[in-house]
Amino acid sequence: MTTTTPHQHPSADDPRVLLDDQVGAFEAVPPYPPRTEREAEFYSLGDGEMFLNMGPQHPSTHGVLRVVLKIDGERVVDLDPVLGYLHRGVEKLCETSDFHHIISQLDPLEYISSLFMEWAPVMAFEQLLDVQVPRRAEYIRVLTGELNRVASHALFQGWMALDLGGLTPILYSFIERDEIVEMLAAITGQRMLFNYFRVGGVNGDLNHEFMSRLGDWMSRATAQNQANIELLNDNEIFVRRMRGIGRLDRETALRMGTTGPNIRAAGVPFDIRRAHPYSVYPELEFDIPTRGHDGGGDSLDRYLLRLDEVKQSLRIIDQCLHNMPDGPVMARLPRLLRPRPGRAWAAVEAPRGLFGTYVISDGTDQPFRMKIHDPSFVNLQLVGLLMKGNLIADTMAVMASLDPVMGGIDK
Amino acid sequence: MSTIPGMGMVRGMGLTLRRFFAPKATIQWPEVHADVAPKFRGRLQLLYDEYGTLKCETCFQCAQACPIECIDMGGIDTKGRFHVHWGPPETYGERREESALRRSGRPVADHGYTRFEGIDLGPLDAILDAHDYDPGDMLAILEEAQAEYGYLPVAALRHISRVTGAWYAMIYGTATYYRHLRFEPPAVTDTPPAGTAQRGIEDGYRSALDAALGLGGRPS
Amino acid sequence: MTAIGRAWGNLTVTGRVLVPLLFLVLVVAPVATVLIALFVGPWVLDVLASNLGIVRFVVAITGVLLFTIPAAFVIIYMEMKVIARMNLRIGPDRVGPYGSLMSVVHGLKFLSKEDFTPTGADVPVFTLAPVAVFLATVMTFLVVPFGPGLVGQDLNIGLLYLFAVGGMNVVGLLMAGWASFNKYSLLGGLRAAAQAVSYEIPLTLSVVGLVLLAGTLSVYQIGAAQAGWFTDWFVFRQPLGALIFFIAGTAEANRSPLDMTEADQEIVAGFATEYSGMRFAFFFFAEYVNVFVMSALIVTLFFGAWNAPFPFPDVALALDPGSLGIGLVILLAAAPVALTLLFAAPFYLARSSTPAWQALLLGFITFNVVAVGGLLGAAYLGLDWFAGLAWFMVKTFIFVFVFVWMRGTFPRVRIDQLMGFAWKWLLPASLLNLFVTAAAILVVDALKAG
Repeated sequence: MTTTTPHQHPSADDPRVLLDDQVGAFEAVPPYPPRTEREAEFYSLGDGEMFLNMGPQHPSTHGVLRVVLKIDGERVVDLDPVLGYLHRGVEKLCETSDFHHIISQLDPLEYISSLFMEWAPVMAFEQLLDVQVPRRAEYIRVLTGELNRVASHALFQGWMALDLGGLTPILYSFIERDEIVEMLAAITGQRMLFNYFRVGGVNGDLNHEFMSRLGDWMSRATAQNQANIELLNDNEIFVRRMRGIGRLDRETALRMGTTGPNIRAAGVPFDIRRAHPYSVYPELEFDIPTRGHDGGGDSLDRYLLRLDEVKQSLRIIDQCLHNMPDGPVMARLPRLLRPRPGRAWAAVEAPRGLFGTYVISDGTDQPFRMKIHDPSFVNLQLVGLLMKGNLIADTMAVMASLDPVMGGIDK
Repeated sequence: MSTIPGMGMVRGMGLTLRRFFAPKATIQWPEVHADVAPKFRGRLQLLYDEYGTLKCETCFQCAQACPIECIDMGGIDTKGRFHVHWGPPETYGERREESALRRSGRPVADHGYTRFEGIDLGPLDAILDAHDYDPGDMLAILEEAQAEYGYLPVAALRHISRVTGAWYAMIYGTATYYRHLRFEPPAVTDTPPAGTAQRGIEDGYRSALDAALGLGGRPS
Repeated sequence: MTAIGRAWGNLTVTGRVLVPLLFLVLVVAPVATVLIALFVGPWVLDVLASNLGIVRFVVAITGVLLFTIPAAFVIIYMEMKVIARMNLRIGPDRVGPYGSLMSVVHGLKFLSKEDFTPTGADVPVFTLAPVAVFLATVMTFLVVPFGPGLVGQDLNIGLLYLFAVGGMNVVGLLMAGWASFNKYSLLGGLRAAAQAVSYEIPLTLSVVGLVLLAGTLSVYQIGAAQAGWFTDWFVFRQPLGALIFFIAGTAEANRSPLDMTEADQEIVAGFATEYSGMRFAFFFFAEYVNVFVMSALIVTLFFGAWNAPFPFPDVALALDPGSLGIGLVILLAAAPVALTLLFAAPFYLARSSTPAWQALLLGFITFNVVAVGGLLGAAYLGLDWFAGLAWFMVKTFIFVFVFVWMRGTFPRVRIDQLMGFAWKWLLPASLLNLFVTAAAILVVDALKAG
């Protein structure tokens, strides 16, 4: 092997290739000629550069994301995210399952916040079926959803620190998440993939165990993340590693379709709960926290914004408990759902941004087409912009602050 | 960041040192098992015994886990009495005929519904409150509920299940295990006619079907 | 003869090999030992006595090599347990009491793992790298004084030797990073080199002030110069130097938050990515031995070495065992019995349900505890080296705890911040420390003279 053109290396999977001779087979280069200009540009090395495969099995790429880094020393010159290692074909699965079944199919998309993955399709189906959801069910949805958001953001804190090398915060986070998850398990029966929302309501009413656990938790919820905050927020190492890294300015954020905490950290107060209100959110009082300065936000802003959101979620939970009406939690519906032919779009504000589903029904008990808009996937497009020019260690800080979940990205 | 450089790090170290002596969150599995939520579904499976007979115990867990409540379950309790126990009445086989009648718009005698009828839950809530909604006190709760209503209405059992978080199957199991707990008002309870248990079961089905069809008492 | 013949016939093949061997060991070996001791021994002793320096060196090296294993085991166990407790976990508690044999099991696990060499690796370098790292680390032990007189070799340039040999393990890391044929390893090795180059300088400079004060480069002499009250420790005369030494030492030992070389969230496991089995264990050991050495150095240079924080009143043992004569034998025979009975009495009386044998057993255990405690106390009072070793170990493990504590608390520093910190802050600070110390010495000397 004398040539140095990377894409001429034979595949490492080819059994005829003797790996000893073909050192190039270890490269990150795909075994086919470049298909696009971008690929040709990316997969040719400049002077002193090399490829570094980060993932799919790497300690800190949030699941099975693979990022091919083109590095010059410690500096990342360019990068190419490669997706699809967790692809389940959920959208296609949804076309072959009935409307009830779809709820449990979508649960594991963003397994940290599965209630939101149930919420959007359920809302879309309710639009198709013209179902009036009982008010108590709506309040329960908001209550459990916000609890799930707090749990998700608590985990984010720990992950953020873990990706920067701190061992302890992740365990504190898991202890906090465990309390919320046990609470939700008291009414949903499961700890992670709740499968709780139903078309027309929720699966079960609040019970006493949930209420007592919730009251117990609420009494110290304001101090809930205090340990992690004390460990991280004032820590000079942590702040210095986050400040100014992965700066996302307003225009880029808007142009790239970013949603959720990431765009709010850049100073854009966009929140589906206020922009396109759904459920009983119009009746509730809460603020849309924003961060950022000089028309943009960095990793630290994204971290701090999630802490602000937890406070707002606690406000919402408090109001839900005070305003919770009586009544049924399930609308009377036929066992087999056959909505009218038509299409519906429903979006919720998941902890990572806008999670939407677009359903086309042809009148049968299965949707004709189901499109899932996942916030992690959209936000992941930013990595190419934000990581370029940073150090290898910063890729972790940026990735963790974007908080992607691979289940939702690969679908 | 704090005003004195390095102060944040010192505070963090103080926190970890405090946590060093704090009580631990570890659950010592396998000696100690984590509490499983009363509504935990786990994995549902229909098992067969060595004779090929279904080992279904009518525990209703599958019926409760079913997302659209399409599993209906009718059964005979341990005292040979006929019962239906889960889901809205129209899902049960023996009630389906009547429900069809009802949907057709004709007025239907509704005495099959008595067990599912709403009851005044106020006294029951007082009982539950006195027991702190503790599923561990189930027998006492059931006894007091029976003393209150004279029997154990299905609505009461379901309410207990809902507020305590205990499985309906667990409550039902408790209630059927003890001979002094009953599911019908004492006046209505008819003693099973002399004969085999099989006959009693058939009679139960037939009378329920007759009642559903509004045929009244047909000689069996 | 027939009996022996029958027994021989009953033996398996293994037995027929093992029994003669056993015979050799049991009969021939003692005879040979006695013969050698009688005829060759005096000559060997003569040779050894005339080369006492070499003998001392060999014994010290052996002792040091043997010491590293329990030291590393204890530190590994400590790290698992302390970080677990800070994380609100319990940590290992299954193997041995409170999980204390966990490190031993770790060692066995490493022994039983496949020794894997990746395709494309530079095999000789790949094999030698762990040895280089381990040797460089262990060799630093040679000049570390564990107590008065307890030092492998009291080199008069001990401090220089320490930094020279301690810096050598970077060569091993670089070798490992290069030879693994893995980009993560390469990055880890290069980071190790860069970090060592940056931090060796403030590390060395921070001690120069101390050397000016002590007037010697011998580590043993520096330790001895801090005798007396704890205010005589160099940390109170060189606080800035101590801080710089601590930070630079953290970087030298590759400990969190400055553990760039094995930052697992960034470069998987750094130089050790491709290592497994015993070779990885060497790195693992070297890391923890390094922690011990760094703590020992901080204690030796700045925290009074083996000296107690206060001068202990010199208590002479009142009883001279030799003067008792035959009474000593009686005492040795009678005291255990009498004390066992004495300690058993309260157990027996406290609860009527306790059977006599249980009370006696408890009494015997208590007696043993008390006797061992008493002996240790006597050793502490009577033997200088024992007291010194005890204080040295206590202080060293306090600093090991601090290293573990920092690992449990802090996120990792970024590589450019690490470098910037070394060159922009630590280096000027250590130079400032040096100049201030030198000026202070001059001023004090001038005042004394004037």
